[in-house]
Amino acid sequence: MSDAVRPAGPLQGLRTWWTMLKICLEERLVYRGDFALGTLMRFLPIVTQVFLWTAVFGATSRGDIAGYSRNDIVAYYLLTMLTRAFSSMPGLAGGIARSVRDGSVKKFLIQPVDYVSFLLAARVAHKLVYYAVATIPFALVFFLCRSYFPPIPDATTIAAFLLSLALSFLLGFFMEATLGMLGFWFMEVSSIVFGYMLVQYLLSGHMFPIDLLRTVPTGLSGVSLADVVHWLPFEYTAYFSSAIWLGKVQGAALVNALLIEAGWVVVMAVACRVAWWRGTRRYSAFGG
Amino acid sequence: MHNSDPAGASRAEPVIRVAGLAKEYRVYDKPEGLAASIRALFRRTSRVVEAVKGVDLEVGRGEFVALLGPNGAGKTTLLKLLSGIITPSRGTATVLGHVPWERADDFRRRFALVMGQRNQLWWDLPAAESFRLHQEIYRIDPARFEKTRDELVDLLGVRKLILQPVRELSLGERMKLELVAALLHEPEVLFLDEPTIGLDVVAQHTIHEFLRDVQRRRRMTVVLTTHYMKDVAALCERVVVITRGDILYDGSLAEIVDRFTTHKIVTLDFDEAPDRGLIERFGFPCEFRGPQVVLRIDRTRIADVLPGILGAAGVRDVSVEDVPLEEIVAELFRADSRAAAVAEAAR
Amino acid sequence: MGRYLAIFLTFARACLVRDMTFRANFILECLTSLGWMSMNLAFYLLVFTYTSEIGKGTGWSKEPFFAFVATGLIINSVVQAFFMPSAEELTEMVRTGGLDAVLVQPLDAQFLLSMHRVDFSSLANGAVGVGLLAWALGRMDHAPPPIAWLLYPLLVLCGVAILYGLVIMLAAATILMGRNQSLYDFWFYLTNFSRYPAEIYAGPWGGPLRMICTFVIPILLVVNVPARVIAQPFTGESWIGVVAAVVGAIASLVVSRIVFQRALSRYRSASS
Repeated sequence: MSDAVRPAGPLQGLRTWWTMLKICLEERLVYRGDFALGTLMRFLPIVTQVFLWTAVFGATSRGDIAGYSRNDIVAYYLLTMLTRAFSSMPGLAGGIARSVRDGSVKKFLIQPVDYVSFLLAARVAHKLVYYAVATIPFALVFFLCRSYFPPIPDATTIAAFLLSLALSFLLGFFMEATLGMLGFWFMEVSSIVFGYMLVQYLLSGHMFPIDLLRTVPTGLSGVSLADVVHWLPFEYTAYFSSAIWLGKVQGAALVNALLIEAGWVVVMAVACRVAWWRGTRRYSAFGG
Repeated sequence: MHNSDPAGASRAEPVIRVAGLAKEYRVYDKPEGLAASIRALFRRTSRVVEAVKGVDLEVGRGEFVALLGPNGAGKTTLLKLLSGIITPSRGTATVLGHVPWERADDFRRRFALVMGQRNQLWWDLPAAESFRLHQEIYRIDPARFEKTRDELVDLLGVRKLILQPVRELSLGERMKLELVAALLHEPEVLFLDEPTIGLDVVAQHTIHEFLRDVQRRRRMTVVLTTHYMKDVAALCERVVVITRGDILYDGSLAEIVDRFTTHKIVTLDFDEAPDRGLIERFGFPCEFRGPQVVLRIDRTRIADVLPGILGAAGVRDVSVEDVPLEEIVAELFRADSRAAAVAEAAR
Repeated sequence: MGRYLAIFLTFARACLVRDMTFRANFILECLTSLGWMSMNLAFYLLVFTYTSEIGKGTGWSKEPFFAFVATGLIINSVVQAFFMPSAEELTEMVRTGGLDAVLVQPLDAQFLLSMHRVDFSSLANGAVGVGLLAWALGRMDHAPPPIAWLLYPLLVLCGVAILYGLVIMLAAATILMGRNQSLYDFWFYLTNFSRYPAEIYAGPWGGPLRMICTFVIPILLVVNVPARVIAQPFTGESWIGVVAAVVGAIASLVVSRIVFQRALSRYRSASS
């Protein structure tokens, strides 16, 4: 065993991770024209939504819709920008599927590095970099729009909020990673990913607060669509954290929901791990 | 526009006339490292690159001219100026009486540009469709179009390729089809930008033959940029050497040898490896390769020195040759980049 | 000129052949755009369970609103099908030197660069739009007068022309700047404002925004004018909108052409 192959200790892992972080940051800064402007631009669609909802509220006589006042809705959309910044994993599924297709996943079968942990560490680096460069535009927008927000919630609520954010990061990661692992079985994962994106778009709370679905019936009596979605993982990637901050989920219901969210994280983490084991076994069997 | 006096062709109005043509670019420096990247957000340094520095050139009808130079010399930029793709910073140029960068339709219909490794055929279409598009775009008379197309396709032997989508073909095959497309409208001027780059020897040879043949028959004026001596030697009599935006030399190929070399290469074959001292005594740089010795002898002194050398024992054969063109040109480029490095250091 | 039409048809035919060859992919792309669209329609249906109108007294109740959405689908699908594919490829063409090849040909560069590629799968949304329009108009209490039927296609074309002008100006920016943030992203942000009836832009911020998006970058004329003509009662005032749309279309085409020609004359071309 030569000097070149040092056993991968935790310090080495940290060093690698730090280098990864620096490279990500450099990469971001290269696109100087798109940089701050791009982040601000992402808030533009919210402007349209705000005007739309104002018009909707203007036309009805009711003071709130599904428990949200007009200001609540604006605050909600701004918060989902934040929550989605934690749970969205652009390119994760596609990247895994691609590395399976072109064979670059092989090196993870040989090297003493766990692929899933590697991906997770890389994502953490990416996210930290993104937050570092996006904090200023975000802070600016939130400050300008502070009048839409209710007063800052108490410490417990904030703690629950932060916990749900961390969980949503893990949830988003493991959901997309598992999808990517399907690349071991299917040539074209992009259609599956697209289907996932569609469902996410509708049910994550990206488009509207899930509470709005409370008036949509399902076949079963007393069960609204909102109740069904509550048990699915999707709303926890955007809607849930925002709802916590706005005080729409409290007490026992809050604890319950956090448990569901945590539960889904565990389920998807296991699914991801299982998919990796079985996928790599199948992969090796085919000679790669 | 037919000239009834072929011999006097070059004496007539030159097809291409360039005076003081220059092109400058502002290039922004790429930051290296994290600190520099952050700094670059607020202040970017830039410098002006002179791709072409005040060039003068005249090309007559029917001439086949090579623009020879290393990468980044400005030859492609010059070609882009002459075909109207970019506008110059200073200077004037006319091609076939038109100012290229005005991009008049009448002008564009009379010349063609072929760029090596950069395709102009539409990727999704089979070549045959691209040809048909060409006919529409250049308004080629249908009967004439078919005749020209068949002629060119057969000359290059690509008939069975024209129904396949272009993206499926190899580089060499694509190049041949590009040439066919370029000549369909019977242009008077043909610009070629590194047409043989990346091609295998056989393909290069085929294209050389084709270009020679077609140029001669149609009396096209051809300007070709390249950094391969092979292209130049096979095709042109006139060479314009360009380095760092300047014309270093403009004349016939044969004259380059006279102008830029001071010595000739004398190769001596012995029965057996000679005594080194015997040869070194003459005082010329020599290379010993077993029973063969290669000497570089000053041209002015060949006549004096040769008898003495031949008198040396055991000489079986002798040849006296010019320095190979490749070497001359390579040395030209090297000398020039050395000068550039010095100038850069002095800045 | 007939020549341009013949050339365009050659391109269109080639794209169609290619789409039919990769049929599975084509169907998938149709389903993709239909998928996103249905999600949005579901959202609108949901909103209308909580209100009967978008904006008080604007007249945009459920059916007229869906007629508006349908008009938007039709206009956007035409632009996405005929102009966006070529414009998106422009960055690539600038990078590989394909733009050089275009500039050397005796044909209008703007035509070639904006119309050499057709994406037929984008027409799927337009087809749904037509169906949605028929449904919405059928359910409305008042039928549009004949003049509205006559003006509608013209105004749809005006909307397409205004958007085309914007596509060309973005393309001009691509030519000047070389590498650019994805054209498609920019396009999305720009046209996002025209997704809903202009009446929603009210108030201290909305008013000025509405002015800018009507008179400076006239995206609010694109869908609003034809939609209002066909789905709202047709009055004398409607003619103002008609004139505005026509003027906006002409202005968009003229200004964008000037900008584009300017960009071409400043073209740098990739390094040798």
